[in-house]
Amino acid sequence: MVTNEDVQRFINSIQAASTYDFTDYSERSFKRRVEKLLVDNGIDLNQLTYKLSKDKVFLEKVVRDITVNTTELFRDPEMWITLRYQILPKLKKNKSIFIWHAGCSSGQEIYSMLILLNEMGMLDQAKVFATDINSEMLEKSKAGVYKYRFNLGYLDNFDKVIRENPYNFEEKFDVPYEKYFDIDKVKDTITMKQFLREKAVFRKHDLVKDGNIFYSKFDLILCRNVIIYFNNNLQNRVIDLFGNSLYRDGFLILGAHESILGQASNSFDRTKGFYKKKQF
Amino acid sequence: MSNYKAIMIGGSAGSFQVVTKIVASLPKDYPLPVMLCLHRLKHVRSGFVEALSIKSQMPIIEPDDKDPIKSGRIYLAPANYHMYVELGNKFALSTEDVVNHSRPAIDLSFFTAAYNYKNKLVGIILSGANKDGALGLKSVKDAGGLTIVQDPNECQVPTMTLASMNATNVDHVFSTQKIINFLLNLA
Repeated sequence: MVTNEDVQRFINSIQAASTYDFTDYSERSFKRRVEKLLVDNGIDLNQLTYKLSKDKVFLEKVVRDITVNTTELFRDPEMWITLRYQILPKLKKNKSIFIWHAGCSSGQEIYSMLILLNEMGMLDQAKVFATDINSEMLEKSKAGVYKYRFNLGYLDNFDKVIRENPYNFEEKFDVPYEKYFDIDKVKDTITMKQFLREKAVFRKHDLVKDGNIFYSKFDLILCRNVIIYFNNNLQNRVIDLFGNSLYRDGFLILGAHESILGQASNSFDRTKGFYKKKQF
Repeated sequence: MSNYKAIMIGGSAGSFQVVTKIVASLPKDYPLPVMLCLHRLKHVRSGFVEALSIKSQMPIIEPDDKDPIKSGRIYLAPANYHMYVELGNKFALSTEDVVNHSRPAIDLSFFTAAYNYKNKLVGIILSGANKDGALGLKSVKDAGGLTIVQDPNECQVPTMTLASMNATNVDHVFSTQKIINFLLNLA
């Protein structure tokens, strides 16, 4: 069993040997990830911290291992329906729409957004930026290839968000999957179409220490199921960063079970499913 | 007033009727938090809370990350997240990989609740079709908590309860009615 002190030693050894700072990560998930790391590598904590201090390549791999989160195409369809019918229509008149996927993980959220934008005739005006702390996940995002059989739920989500209209059941959109991705059942892959893959700009970014690294503010920031891994202190800092990086009336979307707590919440109006930056 | 501070119940989608029965029998002012970690259909997010709420006198809540755990409430692990208990009686959610083909995974909820509540936790495993929850219940026992499984003879699918009984020396094997009586006696 990994103790709190063990986790602290692990965090210290990473901090000493790199620019990564996991001090303000949420205790529980982090502890579990350290346990998994020890089991997967078949080593104890002493060996781990020693190796972290000596081996930069190993350290990078460890950081990649402990910052992986899973996601899916149109995860949480209700949120995407809110985007489609309530949020994106408000941005349609803008000449450009700046969107930041913060903590994009393996990229499914980006492709979901690009597909939705295309269906709404808004893809050309959209500038889509995607960041993650994990370079391996960024490469995965860029590649846009996902397992097929394991992810059959993607197609259900696609149907719910893209083909059905929950506000008018008579209205159905006949959108073939091939418009956006190729399914290869033999290779067991879903591959995003090239026009989607070349649309987003990808950058490595650490929410703990990097500010807004882009030369623009944003109309819409999505950061879903990322701040669950942060403690309140770091959550507030990250929410401040988002607040400062949004245009007035810009939208912030968190995960279905995340909320802004404490003082940071004063800067936003909360509507079911999303936050809107207040005017000052 | 009992020595226990929290109750955690694990089961799969098939235990819905049993869960409903238990939930329906608890009074509005039940003095402990009741946490439910149930396998659910991944893409059906709503409906479960509503269905349970109709029968329950206690409020049914799908917690947000970092919500404090309060007495007199029933918490249901949200679909497609793991639900952890953090020191200081708060929830933490995670989108880590599925464990035992499940998210929420009952084992993970029980591990973390056992670590937080130690001998003040009652862990209950109901009917279910896989072994998720067995190691979790063992961790409750190992931490000094009280362990109960639903009588396998009464379960639609007894895999989960039998696996739990194999994993640890459970304190009680109870019918649904006995589980309810036990919980009411804690009040």
